[in-house]
Amino acid sequence: MANYHPNDELLMTYSAGQVNNALGIMLACHLEVCSQCRAKVHKYNQLGGEILSSTTPITVSSGLKQRVLAQLEQPRDTNTNPIIDAPVPPSDQRIPRPLWRFVPSTLNDIAWKGFTSSIQEFTLPFSDDTYTAKFYKIAAGKELPEHTHKGNEFTLVLDGAFSDQVGSYHQGDFILANTETIHTPHAHKDKDCICFAVLDAPLKMTGFFGRMLNPFLR
Amino acid sequence: MTIPNQQDTTDLNSLVLRIAQHQDKQAFAELFDAVSSRLKAYAFRCGATDTEAEEIVQESLLTVWRKAGQFNPKTASAVTWLYTIVRNKRIDLARKHKNVQIVSDDLYPEQATDDLENDVERDLNGEIVRTLLTSLPEEQRQIVYMVYFEGKTHSEISSELDLPLGTIKSRLRLAMKKLDALAQEQMTWLIIILMTNF
Repeated sequence: MANYHPNDELLMTYSAGQVNNALGIMLACHLEVCSQCRAKVHKYNQLGGEILSSTTPITVSSGLKQRVLAQLEQPRDTNTNPIIDAPVPPSDQRIPRPLWRFVPSTLNDIAWKGFTSSIQEFTLPFSDDTYTAKFYKIAAGKELPEHTHKGNEFTLVLDGAFSDQVGSYHQGDFILANTETIHTPHAHKDKDCICFAVLDAPLKMTGFFGRMLNPFLR
Repeated sequence: MTIPNQQDTTDLNSLVLRIAQHQDKQAFAELFDAVSSRLKAYAFRCGATDTEAEEIVQESLLTVWRKAGQFNPKTASAVTWLYTIVRNKRIDLARKHKNVQIVSDDLYPEQATDDLENDVERDLNGEIVRTLLTSLPEEQRQIVYMVYFEGKTHSEISSELDLPLGTIKSRLRLAMKKLDALAQEQMTWLIIILMTNF
């Protein structure tokens, strides 16, 4: 059961179909494990339904109905989106369903990259102009240099746990760090901590060691 | 445009069920007449052109025909279900024009049945949601609409309406508090809030 959640505004915007990017994928991953947030989204979907009903209608063109009716004869199961094959369930339970088609079937097969063994990353294939999406792996017991953020960084814990000055975060927790957050996250000792992160601007290291590392960080 | 009454909502549910159970084309034609102009208006207000809006209507209704078997009136009303379909079609049509990997199925995967059943008790009474929406002060409703149709952030709404960011935030928060009161069945509070039109 997650203890840290996206705020209501974000959940409403997601329900409104207006977070169609890496952050939306992360919200979908959190919702998979959080019935509390699912209930909220359900409520916002209902509001969406009422908004749909109360919109001033615009009459469709005269031929549309016949065109649609003519297509009912086609086989029913041709609607699958040709862009995506049905994702295959991974062997690794730690991978949330919305990520299935974007990552290897087990987190152990990920080609991690990084300049130190304590922090490694894997870039996810659905970054866009707004957000960069990554997995981070912080080695068990290791600490990241103290840093702040130039923008927003959303984090979802997939495995293990980490703590910073504010709290302790476990699987399913959704955390937002922004320009006001200065923190030194460290992974708990028992296992590596793997996080899904979505950033709208790169990290900015504040400590001396961190400043030295900065040129290597995008 | 009149807001549909409870009767209409029930009718929509039964139309979708007739499609699901009997592949009833007459029911489908009636559903088309009942909702196509609203689906088009939704797509249009979300920024689709006239042609795109009609494509969204067409794809949404074909999805209703194909997926009617998945409709479960115990977990959501037909209008909520239709909303999620047209929202997803809008996302996927917009995506086609750009080189975007993410599709609506990624964002809104079909929920496991047991999760759905567990969430059923949270389902709200549609009529009350409607009452809430119509009785929101215009200034609050306007912001909710901007979120749903335009996906505007607080700061974008603030500059568009030329109002301080704090005002936008508090208006949306007030609207959302009322929804929360509703969801938690704090009906007394909700009635007080609605009566004071605060």
